[in-house]
Amino acid sequence: MLTAALRKELLLQWRTRSQLMAVFVFGATTLLLFSFGIGPNAEMLRTFSSGFLWLGLLLSSTLTLSESFHAEMENRALEGLLLLPSDPRALYYGKAIANWLQLTLLGCALVPVMVVLYDAGTTELLKLLAIILLGTAGLSAPGTLYAAMTAQVRAKQTLLPLLLFPLIVPALLASVKATSLTILGDPMHQSRSWIALLAAFDLIYWSLCGLLYGRVVEE
Amino acid sequence: MTGGVVVGGWGFVIAAYSLTAIVFLTYGMTLITKLRDEQSRAEPEGKQK
Amino acid sequence: MKKAYVFIALGVALLLVGSYIGLFVAPAEEYMGQVQRIMYVHVPTAWNWMLAVLFAFGCAIAFLFTANTKWDARLEAGLEVATLFAFLLCCQGSIWAKPTWGVWWDWDPRLTSVAVLLFAFLGILALRGFVDDPQRRAVWSAVATIIASVDLPIVYYSVKWWNSLHQQQSTPQTVASQFHLPLRINAFGVLFLMIGFIMLRTRIANYRLAREMAMPPIGGEQAGELA
Repeated sequence: MLTAALRKELLLQWRTRSQLMAVFVFGATTLLLFSFGIGPNAEMLRTFSSGFLWLGLLLSSTLTLSESFHAEMENRALEGLLLLPSDPRALYYGKAIANWLQLTLLGCALVPVMVVLYDAGTTELLKLLAIILLGTAGLSAPGTLYAAMTAQVRAKQTLLPLLLFPLIVPALLASVKATSLTILGDPMHQSRSWIALLAAFDLIYWSLCGLLYGRVVEE
Repeated sequence: MTGGVVVGGWGFVIAAYSLTAIVFLTYGMTLITKLRDEQSRAEPEGKQK
Repeated sequence: MKKAYVFIALGVALLLVGSYIGLFVAPAEEYMGQVQRIMYVHVPTAWNWMLAVLFAFGCAIAFLFTANTKWDARLEAGLEVATLFAFLLCCQGSIWAKPTWGVWWDWDPRLTSVAVLLFAFLGILALRGFVDDPQRRAVWSAVATIIASVDLPIVYYSVKWWNSLHQQQSTPQTVASQFHLPLRINAFGVLFLMIGFIMLRTRIANYRLAREMAMPPIGGEQAGELA
């Protein structure tokens, strides 16, 4: 059931890949605007580069997350899916994983933008990828749950970030710190602890949100 | 920032206490007003519930 | 409803007594001077805020298990009171921080966690405002409250850690023994006040729910009330 749901989601995303391109441009523009906000101070830009990256990614996520339920809301497909003899949790995890992959792609695509604009690069690419994977997972789990809720409500564009942003503060802090340490240097190996915090956050929320999803879409 | 002596400060103390008092008072009064409003609306609707 | 008013009256009386002692009887602290007296309202508010959050969390779980709308009414009350207290805490904390540290906000982990949860609960209250169907509104608020409450300790530890790498400022929590009496009195004062508030607010929520259930749907649309 999960693989079927996941396959459907990935197919959907592949069909609308032009949208992902647009979101990437949005994210890159955000990173550009951050540098205009700070000014042409190369050192300061480099110091805060990871913060800008993750904030840009977070803002972009509100676009992709709310879009992920667009197909269900048209033609009231959400109710149709519920009539199937399937576990709603499979639907949730399918969508959450698909969103996660999408955000990871976005994150990786924004890294070169960060490198160029802020002169902030690193050779530890695998570690950076791991941080991006864990961080976007932290965004995707609660984000997919809240996207399911707000898709059915008025003012959904405002409600999704309103609900999501306070919640993911720990994931944001940990991702920014871990990325920052990777880029700027980590003499005391603190990034391990931040990565552990991210992993714990992901574990808690991937289980909790899956558990609660059934109640959110019932009726 | 080390611990030196903080001079004066009564203004801040009064501000904190007054703010707390005003917030509690205002909230309490809005609650009582809303409750009276709801009770009066429930009565004319007959012996429902 | 008499009980609620009794609680409130008791709470106000205790607060008057406790604040009087805290303001005029207790001695000024050695380093912080008169500003220390803010603790006699700040700490009680903080303790009771945590209780309010716990209460909201409990109501959310109770509703999901029992589907009894009375728990949704209590949840609504708990959310509103917790949000109010969180707002109050941030203001009190800023008023304390300015003369002490020279800045309105010093990223103290406890207060920062309160601020995060303040925004989280405001979001849930906003969500309630936009959902007209009472059943759905109740389920969603319960889910959102559980998610936000579970987050509180995680937020606290992550901010504490994030902050510890920079500042070594002590937080205004440790209070010497001679100052305990006004603190305890005010703590109970705020507690009774809070209980009274929650009782009244639950009553209001129950009335509104009853009105919503009784209203016949007109052409498929319900004139839902904003919570």
